[in-house]
Amino acid sequence: MKTTTDAGGDVRLSGISKTYGSFTAVHPLDLTVPQGSFFALLGASGCGKTTTLRMIAGLEEPTSGTVHLGDQDVTALPPYKRPVNTVFQSYALFPHLDIFENVAFGLRRRGIKGVKQQVGDMLDLVQLGEQARKKPHQLSGGQQQRVAVARALINHPKVLLLDEPLGALDLKLRRQMQLELKRIQTEVGITFVHVTHDQEEAMTMADTVAVMNGGRVEQLGSPADLYENPRSTFVANFLGTSNLIEAEVDSRSGEDIVLKAGDGKLVLPEARCAAPTTTGGKVLVGIRPEKISLTHADDAGGIPEGRNRITGTIAATSFIGVSTQYVVDSAVCPEFEVYVQNVDRDSRLAPGAEVVLHWSPAHTFGFDAAQSLLAGTTGSAGLDEEAAL
Amino acid sequence: MPLVNWFKRKFVVIAGLLTLAFLLLPNVVVTVFSFNKPKGRFNYAWQQFSTDAWKDPCGVSGLCGSLSLSLQIAFWATLGATALGTMIAFALVRYRFRARGAVSSLIFLPMAMPEVVMAASLLTLFLNMGAQLGFWTILIAHIMFCLSFVVTAVKARVMSMDPRLEQAAQDLYAGPLQTFLRVTLPIAAPGIAAGALLAFALSFDDFIITNFNAGSTVTFPMFVWGSAQRGTPVQINVIGTAMFLVAVLIVLTSMVINNRRNKQKA
Repeated sequence: MKTTTDAGGDVRLSGISKTYGSFTAVHPLDLTVPQGSFFALLGASGCGKTTTLRMIAGLEEPTSGTVHLGDQDVTALPPYKRPVNTVFQSYALFPHLDIFENVAFGLRRRGIKGVKQQVGDMLDLVQLGEQARKKPHQLSGGQQQRVAVARALINHPKVLLLDEPLGALDLKLRRQMQLELKRIQTEVGITFVHVTHDQEEAMTMADTVAVMNGGRVEQLGSPADLYENPRSTFVANFLGTSNLIEAEVDSRSGEDIVLKAGDGKLVLPEARCAAPTTTGGKVLVGIRPEKISLTHADDAGGIPEGRNRITGTIAATSFIGVSTQYVVDSAVCPEFEVYVQNVDRDSRLAPGAEVVLHWSPAHTFGFDAAQSLLAGTTGSAGLDEEAAL
Repeated sequence: MPLVNWFKRKFVVIAGLLTLAFLLLPNVVVTVFSFNKPKGRFNYAWQQFSTDAWKDPCGVSGLCGSLSLSLQIAFWATLGATALGTMIAFALVRYRFRARGAVSSLIFLPMAMPEVVMAASLLTLFLNMGAQLGFWTILIAHIMFCLSFVVTAVKARVMSMDPRLEQAAQDLYAGPLQTFLRVTLPIAAPGIAAGALLAFALSFDDFIITNFNAGSTVTFPMFVWGSAQRGTPVQINVIGTAMFLVAVLIVLTSMVINNRRNKQKA
């Protein structure tokens, strides 16, 4: 299969925004998607991610700003003149055409003759060569999804847009298709922009993830960067689980900030804090559950120096096989979550036990205390995205 | 009680067959009496088998002329009502405009109006406008009353269409015209076809409105009515049976084509 690698496949959005009446779906936004990358727009429904995608496709007219593909300003171009193709949320396969004709649609509209070979190759790529003469409704959800991908990819677009393409599939199939899409992207080298509300999906597939919230990009980075170093409570909670502690800036020592939380002291590298750190100011300190070690209070003497410590009481435990999840009540944070790998299980770590939680300061992150602790947790989702369209 | 049990088990089938018989018996009578050779002018009592009428369907003066006129009117009325009705249906489903709800309900009013009142009012309207009654007044009236039915049929289909299909077509390099011809129209086609068939049937056998607004023009239903007062020629039954057979033939052909297509796919 031929790969399109002509230069200048960057997608550049400059000051792009979309308002519907008094509702702002997307606030002025600058975003660059590098050529050949797998880029994810991640957020809860109603965060403006689909609207942003549709503006790239030309299906939605931006209220302000411009869309560039490489050097070309495509803002004023209708969708059928943009070198961009979309995989729609419900696939939007043409029910009156068979699989072959669905895939050939884009080629035929551009007046390309002799499409048989190309369509055949494309169907083989998505492993549907046998189904060419079936109608879309005769295929399973996963097969339909692959037809939708083939129908878009056959046109060698500069950018492939995917609007929640796996949303309608069951979990197992979704996992399988995630790998499949990643394989196809690597194989054809086309820029993929993928919209999803599933943080796991975004992290598995994308090179770069933009986390969106309320029509704005909260943070942009590689999945590992976003996970290890979130810059807001929304990102900290939306990607995985975070324990958040309110603390006060006490003093500094070198590159580190020393914080006071309850009676104890916590150390936070200044580079990992996304808030101004004036002495006496409030900050939120975060730590991921799997970064924490759990030691019974009787063995507290064996904990190495220089680690952040918090004392508490185990409130609940649940055994998950590879790990055990503990909920610990402490003075600074009521429900501290801790995941411990089941290597050597300490039988004393049962509900009611006094424990010391400790972790390396390097895993601590901090941000402005003037934001909701619960932002980005499940259930805080905004409007339905469909309603906004 | 084996009989009762048998009846219980077969009840749905029996009820279905009886209803079907109720529906089709009149058609059978029409067909049977097209082979009759009546004594006198009225074809109401069975006398003897004959194919005279089938050999000479135009044997009654004025019959084939009226039939041809009715077919022409039905053709043009179907064309006009289907084109207009399809556009109205798309407008009502796809676009938000002031008084859309009101228009939507107003479209259905002609269906609710008693036909005979509508017919008399139309005549008043035509006379006041100084229109000459005949082919054109009939055609205008037919397009008018067929419209509501076409709109209803097409609207139901368009409402169930996913607008994303058209967006997908645009996304795949189809301009507005291509999108309409390649995606919108084929998907809406069953609704449009249903509307058109309904319009043809309604127009072809309309009597009341036509009778009021025809002037000296005579359509097939008017011919039948007129002749029924003086005597009913067997040829009327021949025409009726022929129409019925043509309809059956069309249905069968489309079924065969569909079956063959499905077999090819599988």
